[in-house]
Amino acid sequence: MPLPNPMRRLSPFTLSAFFLLLAAVLSIAVGSVFIAPGDVLRVIVGALAGSIPPELEKHALIVLSLRLPRTVLMALTGAALGSSGAAYQGLFRNPLADPYLIGVASGAGLGAVIAMSIQWPYSFWGLMAVPFSAFLAAMLTVFSVYLLARVGRTVPTTNLILAGVAFSSFATALTSYLMLRSTGEVRRALGWIMGGSTQAGWDAVLGILPYLVIGVGVLVFSGHALNLLQFGNEQAQQLGLPVSRAKTVILVAASLSTAAAVAFSGIIGFVGLIVPHILRMWWGADYRRLLALSLLGGATFLLVADVLSRIVIAPQELPVGIVTALAGAPFFLWVLKRAKNQGYW
Amino acid sequence: MLLIESLTVSYGTRRILDNVSLTIENGEVLALIGPNGAGKSTLVRAVSGVVLAHPGGVVRKNGVNLLSVSPMERARLLSVVPQISSLPPAFTVRETVMLGRTPYLNFLGQVSAQDEAMVQRALERVDALDLAERPVGELSGGEQQRVLLARALAQNTPIMLLDEPTAHLDLQYQVGLLELVRTLAHDDGLAILIALHDLNLAARYTDRVALLVSGQVKAVGTPQQVLIPELIGEAYHLPVSVIPHPFDGSPLVLPRAPRAFPKS
Amino acid sequence: MSRKLILALVAFVLTLAACAPAASAPQPAAINLTDGLGREVTLGGPARRIVSLAPSNTEILFAIGAGPQVVGRDEFSDYPAEAASLPVVGGSFGGYNLEQIVELEPDLVLAAEINTPEQVKSLEDLGLTVYYLKNPTTFEEMYANLQLVAVLTGREAEAQVLVESLRARVKAVDEKILPLSYAPVVFYEIDATNPNKPYTAGPGTFIDLLIGRAGGVNFTSLAGITDPYPQVGLEQVLVVDPQIIVLGDSMWGVTAESLSSRPGWDGLTAVKEGSIFPFDDNLVSRPGPRLVDGLEQLARLLHPEQFE
Repeated sequence: MPLPNPMRRLSPFTLSAFFLLLAAVLSIAVGSVFIAPGDVLRVIVGALAGSIPPELEKHALIVLSLRLPRTVLMALTGAALGSSGAAYQGLFRNPLADPYLIGVASGAGLGAVIAMSIQWPYSFWGLMAVPFSAFLAAMLTVFSVYLLARVGRTVPTTNLILAGVAFSSFATALTSYLMLRSTGEVRRALGWIMGGSTQAGWDAVLGILPYLVIGVGVLVFSGHALNLLQFGNEQAQQLGLPVSRAKTVILVAASLSTAAAVAFSGIIGFVGLIVPHILRMWWGADYRRLLALSLLGGATFLLVADVLSRIVIAPQELPVGIVTALAGAPFFLWVLKRAKNQGYW
Repeated sequence: MLLIESLTVSYGTRRILDNVSLTIENGEVLALIGPNGAGKSTLVRAVSGVVLAHPGGVVRKNGVNLLSVSPMERARLLSVVPQISSLPPAFTVRETVMLGRTPYLNFLGQVSAQDEAMVQRALERVDALDLAERPVGELSGGEQQRVLLARALAQNTPIMLLDEPTAHLDLQYQVGLLELVRTLAHDDGLAILIALHDLNLAARYTDRVALLVSGQVKAVGTPQQVLIPELIGEAYHLPVSVIPHPFDGSPLVLPRAPRAFPKS
Repeated sequence: MSRKLILALVAFVLTLAACAPAASAPQPAAINLTDGLGREVTLGGPARRIVSLAPSNTEILFAIGAGPQVVGRDEFSDYPAEAASLPVVGGSFGGYNLEQIVELEPDLVLAAEINTPEQVKSLEDLGLTVYYLKNPTTFEEMYANLQLVAVLTGREAEAQVLVESLRARVKAVDEKILPLSYAPVVFYEIDATNPNKPYTAGPGTFIDLLIGRAGGVNFTSLAGITDPYPQVGLEQVLVVDPQIIVLGDSMWGVTAESLSSRPGWDGLTAVKEGSIFPFDDNLVSRPGPRLVDGLEQLARLLHPEQFE
């Protein structure tokens, strides 16, 4: 086990919660505009008390309307991707599975680009058109893949993966075609596909929240079912799990959370793939624990990546999707190399 | 008592089980024997509800049709010790055995002190307490088989099905496992169906034997009644002699003319 | 009219404008305008602290004399040279640094079509006043944009002078080009990242309009292309065989030599005759006052005999 010695004695949940808190504080404290930590604190205390000192008004705007909603959005997105990734890996019993495996990302991308090619009125619903269309297309894709992969009353895992890959390629090709045909939308679509929230402020947080509460809520309680599924469908059923129903519920919950996250935060790769693996190497494969830890770990990981995206080439910002892969891959390889117990999967 | 009535299973157009009916009393071990491809594993899977049987087939326990109840209810009545497939290597032995408690847990999978105690006892019975905290991926085939038996024990069911549990075991573990299976039936009153390919083990450790050939039950009875040269020779396409076992007089089947490949 | 004369005029008007309010110092009237997204934008008076989110916006602001009111710019605003020293508020990867923008306390953020409605909404949610300037498709629309920005910044008089001079310059080009009966076919290369399938500009773009106005025929109209920014293969270029190739991608290092050395391209008339010209793409791709410079330079390129 590669976890540093003193940390091993703490409960993984205490440790994860502590790091999440640390990342959140960092995310609120760090930005392209320097605000003294004391002032950040005074702003937050002032906001809670209902009166902000007038000399801090500008900083209050930055902290309360920019950094705080962004922090919450990134944490929610990371939580969705982390827990969905763990669920997909368990569901498909495949270490390469990530939340985008069966087409959520490519479907969302297609939906987003279609919506971007239409002139929407500048209104609340006009602005919601892109995330809404992305979300809808993502869910439609998963549903189509599911129907295509179904054989009689069962949905073989291999079929699901193959149908997902084929459908993804199709949707991605269609997206590229639409982007080539369009003029001004390429920049917008590219920015979205590389990850990073398109709309600042609390609207996105409110948009993502209901789906995440349902989706991630179900996932967190699916640990026992996923544990059983690791022994194969037959043994799981012989041990008392209604396999088809459980798999469908987990699939829908994971897809729902991922689709909502993608719709509002763009396609952020790598989080859903590596976070569950790292946690599995540190704290074992029990999905009851792994799902909750992946939720916390995904949020922490994405927050840290987002902070990096703000400071690496400040005052410019990198799309966070680039940071998750650039920073995430070497970190993952380092953990992999140090893992003594190679049979963690 | 477990009643299997007119169970028929097809894969596509191929009929694997043809109108199989069997009765297993409480406190009895029934061995299922027959050549490869006769349908032994399919029968275990069909009775446990993971392979769909034709309508009309019934598996009954105290008037409950096990094929029409939920997996959860079925798992409280019937446990299965499967053939060793690849077990998820990262799970510890204790975690694996605890999954046997699934039919008694709430939807959160919360474990009570009673569940812990049942798991502990199951580990004890298969002599696997010292393995409890090890990942199953590190265990030998024989140890894994014991873990799977412990998991079925933790399920605490009146019926247990075992599918070729001795296939990968050394001689001493084969004997140990079958002794335990017999104790479970005779002392704990379980109704046990065990698929075995070793005729002589079936003869020594089980109460009755059912001979399955091409999906049909050819004979059911005590080992002395079923393990006779006529029946076995025809089923396996091989002339055999049967002599009494020097220790306890149970039938001992010996092939007469060894042949590289049996005609099917 | 020479540039010096215009500058003198602008300076004169500026002096007048500077003197006028000092006499009466009236309360500035509120400004109400509808922007390119159909939003009602209200300013208490001419904007004093402006953040520009696009190079064209920056060029417009400086051209109408509102340069001193600009307090921030996007990363790509590199003209005029004075703009370079302004604080940068992002723009690469399509993202802007909202914190930086808030910190600059602008009373107007001037957005353009390269900005998304989501970005406008984000800025609006921060309590900032945002005006979204639509891209012009004709010279008249471009003049109208200059005058709109002039209203927002209190530079109406300067903009009036500028528009008149721009009109005169376009008219001068028109007078030289319109009588001509010969119009060369022009291939305008925007991007040759894939040298075998470069991008060009098609109908509906300002480049297409400028080529026509400068006395040329755009390659795409003969190739039957209707997309605004199509990617075309060598075969299509060979069939049409344009007389002139304009390298809008010369700032990315494409030269007449590198184009000539592309396999198969030596069969083109323009390559054989050496009619390949590097060009400052910023003059035709940024929808601001420098489009007129672009027109003049293109006309010179296509019909040098008219400008001797």
